[in-house]
Amino acid sequence: MLAAVALCFITLDLGGGGLREAHSGVRGTLGSLYRGTDALLGPARRWMEGVPSAGTNQATIDSLRNENAQLRGRIAALEADERTAGQLSTLQHAASTSGNTLLPARVIAFGPGQGFDWTVTLDVGTGDGVAVGQTVTDGAGLVGRVLHADSATSVVLLAADPGSGVGVRDVRTGEIGVASGQGADGFGFTPLSPDATVDVGDQLVTGPNGASSYVSGILVGTVRTVRTSADGTVRATVQPTASPTAVDLVAVVLNTDGGTLASRGGR
Amino acid sequence: MRRARLVAALTGMVTALLLQAALIAPVSAPWPVSLPAVVVAAVALVDGPAAGMSFGFATGLLADLGSNHPAGVLALCWLGVGLLCGMVADRRSVRRDAVTAGLVCAVGTAAATIVLAVTHSGASGRDAVVYLAPTASGDVVLALGALALVRRMLRSESLRAPHPVYTEIVVAGRRG
Repeated sequence: MLAAVALCFITLDLGGGGLREAHSGVRGTLGSLYRGTDALLGPARRWMEGVPSAGTNQATIDSLRNENAQLRGRIAALEADERTAGQLSTLQHAASTSGNTLLPARVIAFGPGQGFDWTVTLDVGTGDGVAVGQTVTDGAGLVGRVLHADSATSVVLLAADPGSGVGVRDVRTGEIGVASGQGADGFGFTPLSPDATVDVGDQLVTGPNGASSYVSGILVGTVRTVRTSADGTVRATVQPTASPTAVDLVAVVLNTDGGTLASRGGR
Repeated sequence: MRRARLVAALTGMVTALLLQAALIAPVSAPWPVSLPAVVVAAVALVDGPAAGMSFGFATGLLADLGSNHPAGVLALCWLGVGLLCGMVADRRSVRRDAVTAGLVCAVGTAAATIVLAVTHSGASGRDAVVYLAPTASGDVVLALGALALVRRMLRSESLRAPHPVYTEIVVAGRRG
């Protein structure tokens, strides 16, 4: 009988959101409990995450790599500016006057769906100005977007979630395409133009306004491998800039104008 | 069901879910090692299939409602975990029961992944196979600790399940 009840719940939820209020209520309650639990277990979790690199200079190396990635991204963006200097100046001016604000937040829980959902819970919510659809970054790269927001917590869908896609632009060539999430394996990139050339080492940023639901100009990742199929379709694998399994401190872009994060120099 | 057992069950459910989200999931990522599933298996191994099924259904439903995937998926899978563990429990060897719990939980997790892949709720059927072995290993490690704790708690005076008392009448034959 319990199995029949469970199947009824599945059918009801798949059929059209009859349990939306229940989902929202339980998520809100669990979110509040996660905030309290993180105060107690957060230090233990961060210690355990740091054990593999304990006793080495790994933390310093990661920090330098992060800074290096930021600088390489800025250099690539400046090279793109030389190619379209007039347009970019207009965009930078519009972005700097649009009032983009970054709200720092801490990850307090991972995947309330027991490892099936690539989501994290943040310790900020609607009370802090967070709204559904806002972009989340770790300062160097794209983390994801806000999926649900309660008064004090919010759930972020990681960009690496399988089945999710991000509109991106190749900084070197300007080609637009879609980066599909592949979980721990990063992203798969497919350019929209069949004639596009993609090289290993190309950096991808979130696409221009209108081509992506994310704030434009945020570094998504670096092309790791490129494969051309028999019909000429180019597919690449992308190493994400922000690790999908090791996010801790992030920032929510409190932006409703679709401005460019890179034009304000990131975080 | 006695009030003490009900309160203990609710506390156990919420504690397992909180520890899973705050500690187990980030450390074991991307392997879907599941502490709540292991606790369900432990309850079933100690108290039998009926208790395991009920606890598994309730815990799974609570986990489903707190997530983005359809409600009922984990409820159905963890109900199965409780039933299976309750039926094959040894109750003499903790290690054997812990291995049983780990294997059944890993299979339950794989089943849930497949259901989510079929309902297009974000999981990949390939992950169900790729992560089966490491998930089973992680679940066995968790079960070694969880089973001992659950066994101690459920066999305490206040939480022990009430069992019917059978009275045997022995008729001794007289020899003349």
